[in-house]
Parts: sequence; structure tokens; C-alpha cells
Amino acid sequence: MAEINFKEFLEELKKHTPYNFCDYSDNSIQRRIDKVLKEHNLQIDELLAKTKSEPEFVEQLVDDITVNTTELFRNKETWEYLYNKVIPGLKSKTNINIWHAGCSTGQEVYSNLILFNELDLLDKVKVVASDINKKVIRSAKLGEYDYKFNAQYIEVFNELWNGLKTNPKPFEHYFNIDEDHDKIIAKDFIKKIPKFIKHDLVVEDIPFYQKFDIIFCRNVLIYFNPELQLKIVRKFFDKLHDGGVLILGTHEALHGFFKTRFVKHGMVYTKSNTFHLKYK
Amino acid sequence: MQKNIQYKGIVIGGSAGSFSLVSKILSQIKDDFKYPIILCMHRLKHIRSGLVEGLNLKSNLPVVEPYDKQKIEGGKVYLAPSNYHMFVEFDATVSLSAEDVLNHSRPSIDYTFSSAATSFRNKMVGILLTGANKDGAQGIFEVHTKQGYTIVQDPNTCDVDTMTKSALQLFSPNQVLTPEEIVVFLNNL
Repeated sequence: MAEINFKEFLEELKKHTPYNFCDYSDNSIQRRIDKVLKEHNLQIDELLAKTKSEPEFVEQLVDDITVNTTELFRNKETWEYLYNKVIPGLKSKTNINIWHAGCSTGQEVYSNLILFNELDLLDKVKVVASDINKKVIRSAKLGEYDYKFNAQYIEVFNELWNGLKTNPKPFEHYFNIDEDHDKIIAKDFIKKIPKFIKHDLVVEDIPFYQKFDIIFCRNVLIYFNPELQLKIVRKFFDKLHDGGVLILGTHEALHGFFKTRFVKHGMVYTKSNTFHLKYK
Repeated sequence: MQKNIQYKGIVIGGSAGSFSLVSKILSQIKDDFKYPIILCMHRLKHIRSGLVEGLNLKSNLPVVEPYDKQKIEGGKVYLAPSNYHMFVEFDATVSLSAEDVLNHSRPSIDYTFSSAATSFRNKMVGILLTGANKDGAQGIFEVHTKQGYTIVQDPNTCDVDTMTKSALQLFSPNQVLTPEEIVVFLNNL
């Protein structure tokens, strides 16, 4: 069998699996596939054959080529802005709908719920969180994280509250700390709120009928090419209430048409009904 | 040095300790330098700001931390943002990634060099500066194998020579230069 290139591989993968990685950023997806080939000591045509004969291997492949990096309270300034500006503006609503698109292992889902609790709005909030990767969804539901790895984020947590509020609840109010097993575990009152589901933004329709006040999609679009980014942002735009916000990663930006339809503040983009031709 | 080549980019890598050297190079580069400079420096994880401001104070060319899919243009310096890997795509845009650290680093110099080598091939110059980590050596070696022009800072002039010596063990670059010679080289491109 002649050697196929990574584009042909992705086309083939699209045909016989539920996944479509064809419109991921070329250089990045190629590198991720190369990494899988190296790790499994396979040629690309062997990898393709394996995805055909072993459906369970496909899920492993998805886990290997998608990126699952996430942290508690990553980028302090985003959470400050949410706490000071975005969430207080939602106070008068009966229900506040939030979607974490590409939630990975769930740290930001819990970070956000902590803000809502500190603002006494936990009973109004309805949270859905989705990811393409089955495995991370399982671990998001568990809400268990390595203690040592997260120790620095507990500092970030404390730093954040020192800047925002005089009497925040301590970290232990939200997480059980089990140093012996090197674990922190989200407490049940917070863990029972989000609905975590496996969902692929690229190929599946959005499975929610409600519109959202906040959509988090942090460091997900960076793996897509510009055309696919635009397609996904259009879906988010349609699913946001007027005045709702889309939250991206620190170095992500909206391109093309939709940058005129949001007002940007740092990495928080507010849906607007007017065009902003002067967008910088 | 082939004078007639139109380069698509100059890629420079150095570790956290290379700040003063990079500022010096950028302060002495001519202000009508026509190629883009793609700069990947190791940075301290929780110190997000300051580096780009510091470099901008000294640099003759504007230094930006690019957004994902930003177009790479001549006469500008693109600094890999804190906590992201920076890649050069085939259409001369930057793409960012938050994937795992490589060689304990995010940004990783190997990733930037290797993606630039894939996209620019022989139409690039790779320059590896002082550093305390081997990250960067493999990357500039890939630049070399894809026919890019390679320069490694003379280890005798490095504050820490781990990075440059690891590279020199892998291959022989086109030139081994002192910082002053690197500036002259760039200004003659």
C-alpha cells in the first residue's frame, strides 16, 4: 500500500468514524498525528487500518490528538471581569444559562461555579459542559484533580479573592483536600450542578434548545483552521442571548464577519446587535 | 550566504536568560529590516507580562505577542506568548497551542523551529541563542535538515551554553557567530 499523507488519512478517518479533523490547523494536526505514530510505533497506513479494525482505538486516538490542558482559575483577569462585570449583570434573571464548550477535565466549570456561589447566585445557574473526548468528560464528572499539580492554583485562587473580596470562603469550602492520595475533589454541592456530555462541536448539531448567557470556549478554536473557526463562532453567536458573552483564551481572536458582532473586552466578547465597524 | 534568497522569516530561539541579548540584537537591527522575526523565548510561567513591553522599549521593530491565526508580516517581531506554543503555518500565519509542555517548556523552541522548518523550508534563517535547556537543539537541527540557513551563537559567548552545545553535537550549522556578528549578519540580509 502506498504511503498516504496526513490529509488523506484525515479524509479516510472522516469516512469510517464519527470524527472529522480535516479542518483542524494543518501544522498542528500533522504534528499530533506524528506524535501518535511515534508513540504507537506505526506507519500512517497502519494507523488507518487500526482505526478501521478497532473502533475502541478510535476513542484512544481522539484522546491522543486532542489537547486537554486546563487549569483552575487560569488567567486571573478573566475571572475578575466575570465576577465584577458579567455575573452581576445577570442577577435579575430567573435562570442563568452557561455552556462550557470544550470543557476538558472541568476545572473551569468548577472555577466558574465558585464565582457564582461567592455572588450568592448558585441556585439560578444552569450549566452544561461538553467535550469531544469521552475520557475527559468522565474525569470532569468526578471532579478529582492532582493536589500537587494544583497547589499553585490554590494560590491563584487565594490571590484572586484577595483582590476581589474581603471575606471569601476558603478553598476547602469547595474542594476536599486529600494530601495522602495527592487529590483535591470538588464537593457534591458544586459537583451536582453541571451536566457533562460528550459532544463534537465540529460535526454534531448543538444539542441544547436554550440560549446562553455565557459560553466558555477557551483554547479550542486555536486548533481549527480559520474557516472552521468562523463556522463554530457562528453557532455560538446564534446560541447567545443579546448581551451574552463568549469567553475565549488569552491569545485567541475573532476573525472575519463576527468580529463586528461582538464588543471585545480582553478575552470576553459580548454579543451585540449593532455592527462595530471600528473594531480594533 | 545566498544574497538572492527572499526569506519568509527569521526564527530566533533562546531561553529565559537570553532577554538582554535579544534586546541588544533588536536594538541594533536596522529599522527598515524587511523580514519577519519569529521569536521564541522560554518564560517564567506566572510572569505573564513585562517581556513584550521590555523588548519593545529597546527594539527598533515593533514586537507583538500574536493572536492565533495572525498573519506574519515583514519588519515585525512575533514573540511566543506565555503559556502557549507558537507554530508557523503553511499560509504564513501563526497558530498557537496549549498542549503539553515539551522539554519542560511552553512555549517550546523546538516546536517553533520545527513548524517554521516545515512551512518555510529553505526560505528561512534559524538562530539559536544562549540557554540552559536542550529545548531548541532538535528544532534547529530540523531547520538544517530542511535546508534552512542555521546560525548557532558561539558557546564561548553564551551565559549558559547547554542549548547551543546540544545543537552543535547534532549537526554543523552554516555559521557559529558572536552576538555582534549575528547583528551584522541580520543587517546584511
